[in-house]
Amino acid sequence: MRTIAMVLAAVVLSAAASSATAQQRAAPRDTTTKRLSYPVPPAARLVAITNATIMTAAKGTIPKGTIVIRDGKIAAVGADVAVPAGAQVIDGNGKFVIPGIVDAHSHSAAEAINEGTQSITAQVRMEDVLRQDALGLYRELAGGVTTLNILHGSANTIGGQNATVKVRWGLPADSLLFEGAPPGIKFALGENVRQTNRTVLPGQERRYPRTRMGVEELLRDAFTRAQEYRRDWQAYDRARKSAKKGQAPVPPKRDLQLDALVEVLEGKRLVHCHSYRADEILMMLQVAKDFGFRVASFQHVLEGYKVADEIAAAGSGASTFADNWAYKLEAWDAIPHNATLMAERGVRVSINSDSDERARRLYQEAAKAMHYGGASEEEALKMITLHPAWQLGIDKRVGSIEVGKDADLAIFNGHPFAPASRVEMTLIDGRVFFDRNTAPTLEYLMELIRQQQGPRQVTEVVP
Amino acid sequence: MRLRTLLACFAVPVTAAAQDGTWALTNARIETVTRGVVERGTIVIRDGIIEAVGANVTAPPDARIVDLAGKRVFPGLIDLTSTLGLPSAPAPAGQGGPGGPAAGQPASATVRNVGLEPGRVIAEELRPSATDVRAARDAGITAVLVAPSRGAFRGLSALVPLRDDSATRYVVRSPVALHMGFEGAQGSGFGGRYPATLLGVIAYERQSMYDAQHHAAQQERYRAGVRGVSRPSYDANLDALVPVVRGALPAFFDAERENEIRRAVAIGDEFDLKLTVVGATEGFRAIDALKRANGVVVSLDFPRPTAVTGWSYRSTQRRALNDSAATDSAVLRMLEANAATLNTAGIRFALSSGGLRAGEFLGNVRKAIAAGLPRDVALQALTVRAAEIAGVGAQLGSIEPGKIANLVVAERDILGDSANVRMVFVDGIRYEVIPPAPSETRRGGRTGGGRAGEREEAGEMARVAGTWDITVTTAEGENRATLTATQSGATLEGSMATELGTVQITDGRVTGQRVTFTITLPISGQTTPIVFRGSVEGSRMTGTVDLGAMGSATFIGDRKP
Repeated sequence: MRTIAMVLAAVVLSAAASSATAQQRAAPRDTTTKRLSYPVPPAARLVAITNATIMTAAKGTIPKGTIVIRDGKIAAVGADVAVPAGAQVIDGNGKFVIPGIVDAHSHSAAEAINEGTQSITAQVRMEDVLRQDALGLYRELAGGVTTLNILHGSANTIGGQNATVKVRWGLPADSLLFEGAPPGIKFALGENVRQTNRTVLPGQERRYPRTRMGVEELLRDAFTRAQEYRRDWQAYDRARKSAKKGQAPVPPKRDLQLDALVEVLEGKRLVHCHSYRADEILMMLQVAKDFGFRVASFQHVLEGYKVADEIAAAGSGASTFADNWAYKLEAWDAIPHNATLMAERGVRVSINSDSDERARRLYQEAAKAMHYGGASEEEALKMITLHPAWQLGIDKRVGSIEVGKDADLAIFNGHPFAPASRVEMTLIDGRVFFDRNTAPTLEYLMELIRQQQGPRQVTEVVP
Repeated sequence: MRLRTLLACFAVPVTAAAQDGTWALTNARIETVTRGVVERGTIVIRDGIIEAVGANVTAPPDARIVDLAGKRVFPGLIDLTSTLGLPSAPAPAGQGGPGGPAAGQPASATVRNVGLEPGRVIAEELRPSATDVRAARDAGITAVLVAPSRGAFRGLSALVPLRDDSATRYVVRSPVALHMGFEGAQGSGFGGRYPATLLGVIAYERQSMYDAQHHAAQQERYRAGVRGVSRPSYDANLDALVPVVRGALPAFFDAERENEIRRAVAIGDEFDLKLTVVGATEGFRAIDALKRANGVVVSLDFPRPTAVTGWSYRSTQRRALNDSAATDSAVLRMLEANAATLNTAGIRFALSSGGLRAGEFLGNVRKAIAAGLPRDVALQALTVRAAEIAGVGAQLGSIEPGKIANLVVAERDILGDSANVRMVFVDGIRYEVIPPAPSETRRGGRTGGGRAGEREEAGEMARVAGTWDITVTTAEGENRATLTATQSGATLEGSMATELGTVQITDGRVTGQRVTFTITLPISGQTTPIVFRGSVEGSRMTGTVDLGAMGSATFIGDRKP
């Protein structure tokens, strides 16, 4: 998926570059006066966005309203909200404000994605490999995205621990983390973990499992081991409490892989499961039921419309593409109505990117749910804000414009679902991380690409 | 008389044997580093140890006197990032100990996990070539810390004096530290051995630390009362980690870029390690993290501007559009000023070569000084601070009575443009420096920086044309291929027959004895460029293979008659 995304990004960029060159010939832009400042200035303690159309994603749309932000939190929203004295005012006249977009499937901020050596790598953590300088992050800000679920790749049945981050582009890598977000983990089913699409080099061994049967067995075996491991620790805790002084028992050997799985069993770690086919989704639901945990979200879930009732009944979310399929056999039986059909059966549906490129236009992807499936405007908006936030367990903090929530907002120059609209400003915790008025030029971004990828790619990108 | 002695002193034939014994170095300007400068003084060396230093020291009657009027004496330099005397290729399978200790991968008795060997004792492997030793020593380096340059757990390093006779026997200290890094199992990647990626490596290191803590607790319990307690398993790799998790043995963590530094320091914090960050070429971006480290070794192998973390310098150092030369040189200045910035921030560090050859290393020291690092701090960082970080502050790093007699005699400042090192003492043994032939240039580092050395070697060009049997060795085994090449000047063309088909080689270049070329193969449905980098010696070619995301391998080529 990433490779395709990178090729797409290059194509889109080169198209954008040529049109920009044409524009420049028509009217040269004054680039010298535009100075970036990094890290971006800290947020003003008091900010007001006035006279804007506010799409709250929870309580309808306010045609001409004001949002007051105090210390990074939304302090007031409404049509009759007064601008407090001393507030920094952002004039929202003619503009649309939506909650910052939440992308439930991203690999943007990661320096490594797939530890594809073993079928179970529950011990690896995306948090360990975050990077702050990935150009994709900046594009995502320019597309109104404020929160990302940085997932491990899908090479392994039980992949690594994901990291929920805010797109605080320009700050050190560890300040990306969404503080307080519940931990999660990536699972994957089907062709990727069976490695049916991988060429095995001479001397390399095929990895277990080779079939969907094996995938299920691997899951059951892993969770059985996790149960035994948990029992060992419980026994140790009991022995420690009853032990006489000086006779403390030796604790069991700590196993980071099983630690993570025990957290899943105890409902402390959310499972995000890469899946395509209806049968494997049902299998995963059964395994989860047998071991007593909930799958927080099925990712991709292109055949989710076939088993929407089962997904809804299990309390799982579904995070899917708007209209992207047929890139492999198991992604064949997909329809663009998937998101809306699942939503109609009571599934909390999000639309994700799994791509640095698609992530910068998720609002258009959400609009497709209205176009194809006839979702309501608010439902479509929720698919990129409140629902993914719920799937990540952060819906109390972000995902809608409500008093008390983080001031993560995207300000558009028109309706976010209109094809020509674009993001003017993106705020995270009330801090302006993207402002089109001071945004770097395309040439500047090209230079960044050159810096990051080396000169060879640039010759392909620059016309 | 004096002139004659001097001439006799310096006109030593190339084959002259090193001389030890009792020495009195008289009339020299002595820069002790820790006790100021003696403008005209004497150093007495006996049995490899400095016996006396000062202006009023008299030469003992049994000493051979070397009149160093007009010359300067410095403590021998110490380089804490060296691979001197280590085999360049990984040892062949079947020769190693057990696998790494981390969970998840069963240890194999036949495959050696290169780079996953905390218990590897470097002092026992040293086989330095006389040429390498002399090249470093002639520049004034008298001791190096040897550890492998790749791997998650690289082994236990040794501080080695640059003598001609034996490296292992005279090791100053071993182990100095456990060396760690962020590279995974060699030849790994999809289908390879865990850990292959940064994700796996950090998890593997973390698990290994927990394993070592558990192992230590079991050992302690067993030692407290052997009877009735099941004994802990024997595991040399875990045994090596035990003093590390207890904070008794330092961990030297190779971390160059900002995020690497932060990750290394986070691991150090998590397990309360005695952590020294080695590399820190982007340290100016992670000063807060470096302040939490126990020690810092700053490499002077400056990264290329295109290789540094992408964003922040761009914003602060913005130049005219499309003027990448200007921005690149601005970045270069920031990188060269790294040591100066860290010094201003109050961080104490040693300077090291980062694997550069001695000439380039000292050339880059001059660049760091030109970029604002005080010259005296630079000298301390190459002597006394390096000794302290290596745990040998009592034995090395300055000219004081009782310390090991590692000294450099030069015509001018050892950190200046034309030091002209004339002789070097290591363990009190005198080694002459043979002046270069007039046609050679010794100032490579000053003009071309890190790349100057390549031009020097370009004089004689290897002959690569012909047919070669190539054997590529990965951790999984050997792959054979046949290279058929034609050469015109520095350009190499031809094809390579591999197990995945015959493909044209691209980007083929011959530089001196070095050869590089690339082939592109469809692996896992993706076209993957595979870069060969090697050197030619007669009818043999050896080097490394860069497999992109799948890691790296080594290769050997034999010319077909």
